[in-house]
Amino acid sequence: MLAYADTKPDYIAVNRDIKFIEIRHLNGPNIWSVRPVLEAIVDIGELEDFPSDTIPGFYECLSSWLPSLIEHRCSYGERGGFLRRLKEGTWTGHILEHVTLELQNLAGMPGGFGRARETSLRGVYKVAVSAWHEDVARNALAAARELLLAAMDYSPGDEPYDVRGAVAHLRGMVDSLWLGPSTACIVEAAASRNIPAIRLLAKGNLVQLGYGIRSQRIWTAETDRTPAIAESISRDKDLTKALLQSCGVAIPEGRVVHSADDAWEAAQEIGLPVVIKPCDGNHGRGVFIELSKREEIESAYRIALEEGSGVLIEGYVPGTEHRLLVVGGRLVAASRGDSVSVTGDGISTINELIQQQINSDPRRGESEDHPLNPVHVDGVTIMELLRQGFTTDSIPLVGQEVIIQRNGNHAFDVTDEVHPSTAAAASLAARIVGLDIAGIDLVATDISRPLAEQGGAIVEVNAGPGLLMHIKPAIGSPRPVGEAIVEHLFPSHEDSRIPIVGITGSYGTTNLAHLIAQLLALSGKQTGLACSDGFYLDRRQVKKGDQANWKTARNILMNRSIEAAVFENGSDSMLREGLAYDGCHVGIVTNVELTRHYGKYLETPKQVFDLLRTQVDVVVPAGAAVLNAREPMLVEMAALCNGEIIYFSLDSDLPVIKEHCLHGTAGINGVQGKRAVTVRDGEIFLVDGSSELPLSKLNDVPVTCDGKAVLEVENILAAVAAAWSLGIDPAVIRAGIGSFHAFSKV
Amino acid sequence: MQVLRLRALRGPNLWSRQTAIEAVVSCDTPEPLPGGMPGFLDRLYARFPQIDLLPAASCPEAEMLAHTLERAVLGLEIQVGCPVAFSKIAPTLEADVYQVVVEYSEEAVGRLAFDLAQDLCSAAIEDTPFNLAEALQHLRELYEDIRLGPSTGSVVRAAVARGIPFHRLTDGSMVQFGWGSRQRRIQAAETCLTSLVAESVAQDKQLTRFLLDAAGVPVTPGRPVTSAEDAWVATCEIGSPVVVKPQDGNQGRGVRVNLVSREQVEAAYTVAVEVTGKVMVERYIPGHDYRMLVIGNKLVAAARREPPQVAGDGIHTVGELVEQINSDPRRGEGHANALTKIHFDEIALAHLATQGLTSESVPPAGTRVVLRNNANLSTGGTATDVTDEVHPEFAARMGEAAQMIGLDICGVDVVCESVSRPLEGQGAIIEINAAPGLRMHLQPSLGKGRAVGEAIIANMFKKGDDARIPVVAVTGTNGKTTTARLIANILDCQGLRVGMTSTDGVYIEGQRIDTGDCSGPKSARKVLLHPDVDAAVLETARGGLLREGLAFDRCDVAVVTNIGVGDHLGLSYINTVEDLTAVKRIIVQNVKPGTGVAVLNAADPFVAGMAAHCPGKVTFFARDPDDPVITKHRAQRKRVVYVDGDAIIAAEGNFEYRLPFAGIPVTQNGAIAFQIENAMAAVAAGWALGLDWQIIRGGLANFVSDMQTAPGRFNFFTHRGATLIADYGHNVDAIRALVNAIDKIPAKRRSVVISGAGDRRDEDIRRQTEILGDAFDEVVLYQDQCQRGRANGEVLSLLRQGLEKAKRTRQIKEIYGEFGAIDAAFDDLKEGELCLILIDQVDEALGYITKRVVAG
Repeated sequence: MLAYADTKPDYIAVNRDIKFIEIRHLNGPNIWSVRPVLEAIVDIGELEDFPSDTIPGFYECLSSWLPSLIEHRCSYGERGGFLRRLKEGTWTGHILEHVTLELQNLAGMPGGFGRARETSLRGVYKVAVSAWHEDVARNALAAARELLLAAMDYSPGDEPYDVRGAVAHLRGMVDSLWLGPSTACIVEAAASRNIPAIRLLAKGNLVQLGYGIRSQRIWTAETDRTPAIAESISRDKDLTKALLQSCGVAIPEGRVVHSADDAWEAAQEIGLPVVIKPCDGNHGRGVFIELSKREEIESAYRIALEEGSGVLIEGYVPGTEHRLLVVGGRLVAASRGDSVSVTGDGISTINELIQQQINSDPRRGESEDHPLNPVHVDGVTIMELLRQGFTTDSIPLVGQEVIIQRNGNHAFDVTDEVHPSTAAAASLAARIVGLDIAGIDLVATDISRPLAEQGGAIVEVNAGPGLLMHIKPAIGSPRPVGEAIVEHLFPSHEDSRIPIVGITGSYGTTNLAHLIAQLLALSGKQTGLACSDGFYLDRRQVKKGDQANWKTARNILMNRSIEAAVFENGSDSMLREGLAYDGCHVGIVTNVELTRHYGKYLETPKQVFDLLRTQVDVVVPAGAAVLNAREPMLVEMAALCNGEIIYFSLDSDLPVIKEHCLHGTAGINGVQGKRAVTVRDGEIFLVDGSSELPLSKLNDVPVTCDGKAVLEVENILAAVAAAWSLGIDPAVIRAGIGSFHAFSKV
Repeated sequence: MQVLRLRALRGPNLWSRQTAIEAVVSCDTPEPLPGGMPGFLDRLYARFPQIDLLPAASCPEAEMLAHTLERAVLGLEIQVGCPVAFSKIAPTLEADVYQVVVEYSEEAVGRLAFDLAQDLCSAAIEDTPFNLAEALQHLRELYEDIRLGPSTGSVVRAAVARGIPFHRLTDGSMVQFGWGSRQRRIQAAETCLTSLVAESVAQDKQLTRFLLDAAGVPVTPGRPVTSAEDAWVATCEIGSPVVVKPQDGNQGRGVRVNLVSREQVEAAYTVAVEVTGKVMVERYIPGHDYRMLVIGNKLVAAARREPPQVAGDGIHTVGELVEQINSDPRRGEGHANALTKIHFDEIALAHLATQGLTSESVPPAGTRVVLRNNANLSTGGTATDVTDEVHPEFAARMGEAAQMIGLDICGVDVVCESVSRPLEGQGAIIEINAAPGLRMHLQPSLGKGRAVGEAIIANMFKKGDDARIPVVAVTGTNGKTTTARLIANILDCQGLRVGMTSTDGVYIEGQRIDTGDCSGPKSARKVLLHPDVDAAVLETARGGLLREGLAFDRCDVAVVTNIGVGDHLGLSYINTVEDLTAVKRIIVQNVKPGTGVAVLNAADPFVAGMAAHCPGKVTFFARDPDDPVITKHRAQRKRVVYVDGDAIIAAEGNFEYRLPFAGIPVTQNGAIAFQIENAMAAVAAGWALGLDWQIIRGGLANFVSDMQTAPGRFNFFTHRGATLIADYGHNVDAIRALVNAIDKIPAKRRSVVISGAGDRRDEDIRRQTEILGDAFDEVVLYQDQCQRGRANGEVLSLLRQGLEKAKRTRQIKEIYGEFGAIDAAFDDLKEGELCLILIDQVDEALGYITKRVVAG
């Protein structure tokens, strides 16, 4: 570079701009990655002549504005790697990629991937960055451009770029558009078990886990298995208590009251002190604890009345409130409320004691790094003190305990301490109400001892409980709540995926898609098909026209009646949209004719290879890539497959076939497959290592025109291979290919 | 006329299988009735002409009054539509006091009818006014208020027809079907299969549209709009004509249809936005409104819905025409009737105004005036059943739509030209409703009603599944708790989670969840409603049977251990052993017809006689193989259980199975006769349930009866070489059985500690010590704290009287208090002696004895 230093234009005079020629969201496995990316074609114009080391102050500016860039390992594969490149000199496209990613990270999006590649046009780059959410990624890219241009123009003394503001804006977008933390933790747990997730709402937490008939929906902590009736019961506290009591679960005695007088009467029946709360309220609103005086009870009644549809009065249960999370009949997490009190010293006022004994705790503070909030004296605190006969200025006697706050945030994880009988009671309570996921509110003095011996009780059963307190407890270890919910919806032995066959290639793929769909339908599966002549559900054409696209494939995966799916993937759709699925059981690449792919986006055999390999990349370990053995480029792809390789070939003597059937071909997971489908003497054979099974004579397969139609024969072989790998009975395959007439004209 | 006691019998009872109000009424009239009986009857008929009295044979005045009350209660219930038929009266031992029993379908209605009938009778006696119309109105309102609504009612009826038991969880529409772990719930047209997430999905119209479109089901294009201007933009995107409507509106308020121009659209937006603030623009599809009911992804019923409308005749005003229609007796208010009156309110008037009409307009003959653009039955619309016309492809889309949304039951609103063609190209789904109303399909205004309840039940329960768990009811005078525990133990060996009620608590999987005497229906219901129970063993004592009837409509096995000379006689109008037999027989009368089994003690003639009342099969048991009942039953190749040598034999025809006493520890190798009988009853019950013999054998073998598992049931202690036995036996038969068992245990000297329970008859208390006096050398009498209505010293004196002719007793002590009596027994006890302590306060006494034993 230095050799050109003298000839290049002056940096000050240069037109510094970054232009986006095109931005696309590839919402699925694609030429860059198996994860969604934003792909931008970026023209850096004259900046092509100015790598980062040649721009005065640029490095310093960027590294101080975005210090966390130090985590980017980049070229050198180590912490600080990217900054080193930046210092040594790299081009704007590459920097744009890293800054976009970092802005997304700072806004709270999950970790990412990025690439920047030159194109054949000078100064034009393709930049791809992870894009879990399209709008967030687009905004991050735009902000990254602004930031870069600001850094390039920066001279000491200028107003620096408002990184904080940009990140706050993105964070706001993430908060409103991305999954909430509870849902995110479930989706992450699903991902770690390789269970796919599809968001069904652009905003909000409705997510489908799994595909087709195997799918389950979750909406935060509610699932397809949460009965609406159970939720109704949980909202009716009186009914819930009656049901719990009938099954011997400890609950506070109580009843609904209809007037202030009635409240006092009930309090005397139950025995003082009592708790007063609205029948259907939640989150502690309008809840009054440990009342003994008639005036207190009557005024609490009036306030509680305003909150809900009725007022409930219950015996006071001594102790701290705990929240027990039950998932699928199992206690998964438990947390304890932050109940605080001070002890008098005979000198200090309560206000002072709060500062000395509570807020001095280093764990308490306003920032996010503090697990516990400081105690502020508010209305509730004042009422609590009043009940005990104090004001904030009272001076309690030496050793006198004063309750300041009863049930603050559920901050303390106590999962490991819960007594087994209490865990069983919580699980029973969830079962009685009928909830698969329930938050059980329980009051106990010591959660590690049985409830009965301490007079503890279950006070409420909640549907759709918050998970955050268990995922991020202030004190104690996070609990695998997402994992438990995923395990509940998809027990380990259950598959979340339906058989998916993905087909790509240069030509003839539509017919092949139809043929495989027919074989799957014959095997008894409700099959969805998206191909370039329509969208079919179980042989019924739902939509006409080219449906070999992301949206139609997604629609099929969302369809709860679909047991198997066949997707034709044209190279255009793969380039512009990515695949609609993250894994398939069979990935077929039929053939390669490079010229059919060349154009604006693809210019070299390598790029065609990178595109077509996407179909092989997504094959699941238990699945297979079905490849045409006569194409050297496809044979090369075999090494990229997670699953088995099944070759098909018109020529049974092809060395690739011979070698494969003799020694097997290992994919990246080391799966050694030796299967192939070939033709010899006008007959189709299923070959597995040294064993051969004659399947059908080509004469009996009408569409091959007695074996003369070469493309049709190859399609038949590919379909047979796919069906074979899906475990379809050879007799069904034979019948299917023998009766197939409906090749459309492509 | 005075009501001495009133009970609601909530299950099969002494009188019938129906729920009933049972009242004890004193029908004594202090003064003669004015005009005598004929005068009374005239006044009665004048006040309640519909009363249906049975032809009065010459019967006492009091009996006639009781009968009048009985028929008045029934008549009132029938007048308001309660499906009831049974009533009867029965005399008691007291003069002019009758038991009046009248069936009810809703307890509160039965109680109110009873009160009103009393008022009626008093009015007829005293010749004061009685407002029948008001009374019936009051009763009817209550009935309409608390009976199950039409939707829920249809599901419940379908369940009952399939033999599925039900239990209302609330006064509303929440109902539980089935028992224990097989239970399922519904709430109107929601079931336990109705997912909360699916309901939320259906509530989001945009999401529903998106998902249905993805599933290839025709939907109307449309979207929510944010302003009048945006409404027009949306109209241009979607293509006119359009509908503008509030997003979450109901009853058609603020809906404008078939809009084409910008002015129309913007004006409609202004109207709609006032209703909810959120407005939707959709493509307008001409055609009829249909409601499709999909259950289990299958189309079950289809109805064409029409908005309320009147047909002009050129003479009457719109207001008059509406009035004419509303005078149709089929039209009522609310959801109870087939049709609802047309609501001629401001919405209707506003709708008329859009057509340039007022309520005073006289539409020309042959014109149709629509009164609101929504077809809800609740505002006067009509529904015509078109289920049979639906094209199979059309029906298939409905099923796919329901599956895509994920609802097991849903109402799909469709607009289209005709249901007899595929939906594609001629219509679309407008929305999907969770918890749809079923009334329009059950009782359409036109066309036939559909078996909707049956479809819902069929989707919840597989064919042949009646959602029941095995239920064994156990009753008798003695041995029922041990028998129940033995049966529970056998079922536990089968791997079932057992719920059991007994006189010492409610047990779920061996855990006691309730204490005290739990042998009544309330406790039985706890077991049947508990989600973790796979099988129930319910000790069913007389008290609960009399108080409330059974907690279940039928049981698989009814075990009656014995009646003997009875217990608790003289209480609750049960005076004789025959009366008591009739009470305990209730469980036998309610075994499952055909396949249910009554396990009866052949040696007890009262129990053996119950066989004639059993609608199922009978297994007899008795120790004596030559018992005539046993031999006859065996000769008929039916099941019997008896003792042969050192084993219990179960025999049926040529089949015999032998269970040696050695394998049944509770019998102490056959030494304790009453435990043999309990084991025989348990064997017969296990056999009746079809359990494997290995399981039955195992259940008997590992059964432990000690102070922990069976407090107060023949608990053994050893103290300084002497044997102590504590038992809760408190009636003649129990004491006889104990004496029998203790006689086989060698001892130098025998002593017994006893108090009497005051609520027994005098002769029963005396009889207890008569038996003991012949078997024990020393008797320690004590008076316990609870005298159950007796004067101080009364029971002691009865006990003493029983000992007057004692053949063996030489020494009698009298002590106050149970602990003192126990101390007295302990103090005298020497090696090789035996002492039986008949404890009363079970837990406390056992605790005290244990403490003394431990102290040595």
